[in-house]
Amino acid sequence: MSNSLAALYERPGNGPFGAFDRLLFVPAGEKPEQVTSDDPIETRAITGVKAGDAAAFDYLVSKYLKRVTSIAWGIVRSPQDAEDLAQEAFVKAYQSIGRFRSGEPFGPWIYRIVTNLGLDVVKHRKRFRHEELSEGEPAERRDSADLPAIAHELGSRIDAAIESLPEMQRIVARLYLVEQFDHGEIAAMMNLSEGTVRSHLSLARRKLQDRLSDLREANHE
Amino acid sequence: MSNDRFLERLRIEAQSLRFEPSHFAVTRMSARIRERIATPTVSQLLANWMRPLALSFGAIALVSTLGVAWYESQETVAMESTIAQSNIDVEMAGYSFGD
Repeated sequence: MSNSLAALYERPGNGPFGAFDRLLFVPAGEKPEQVTSDDPIETRAITGVKAGDAAAFDYLVSKYLKRVTSIAWGIVRSPQDAEDLAQEAFVKAYQSIGRFRSGEPFGPWIYRIVTNLGLDVVKHRKRFRHEELSEGEPAERRDSADLPAIAHELGSRIDAAIESLPEMQRIVARLYLVEQFDHGEIAAMMNLSEGTVRSHLSLARRKLQDRLSDLREANHE
Repeated sequence: MSNDRFLERLRIEAQSLRFEPSHFAVTRMSARIRERIATPTVSQLLANWMRPLALSFGAIALVSTLGVAWYESQETVAMESTIAQSNIDVEMAGYSFGD
């Protein structure tokens, strides 16, 4: 586990259980729709895990691990932390599988867990940012070498523009633009109201339009 | 371009920015997850010890209760039949009364 994550979990009341408690919260008046899993193998795997068959969890890990890691990376922007978060999310999901309602898709649940863990890491980093900066490593540039294969310059510019946004706008924009979640899904993952997500996205869009103005003009022509 | 179209265009372009962990990283993470869920937590460890113990004590208590109840019922029956079978002779002023 990397230093920042290890330090986070060592802090009392700040560990993954803190994030977990928040999973029970549903914003008032915004009860998410009951979605059922359309993958019978997934449903069987969850039933197996609930019955104590740890091997059945492999299917869920293999199905969701890449996406979960990508979501984590989008929030913490470090491959090592993203790996740790993804692992932590799956372990927590396994340990509290009893609370998971059978028949529902596993995806939104594990995405919510990893997002909450990621938000905890971000909060922790913010609190200790002065320490990071004193080490002479500018926080906003530290992951530049970790960028995934950005195929073209446009992708690189969009990535930089998203990264320049304030924290919450950045995370919401990344989940919407890169991970392709809709407003409702993002709201559920981040324990925010859908209105708040739209508001963050609207502010993000304005800033992105400014920073990528030439892209906007090129499309006008 | 409308705001929505701008965002939709960005959405299409930004798909390529998803992080793809390498095959090696996926294998490593899967192995670590498997290892961690295979290791029981303290509560699971305690539960693994306590459950059979609690079951054993429960079974012993149940068998003892049933045994004592059965023994007592047998004893009462035996005493009643002994009393019923006994001849009771009562002597009074030289006279003997009984079966």
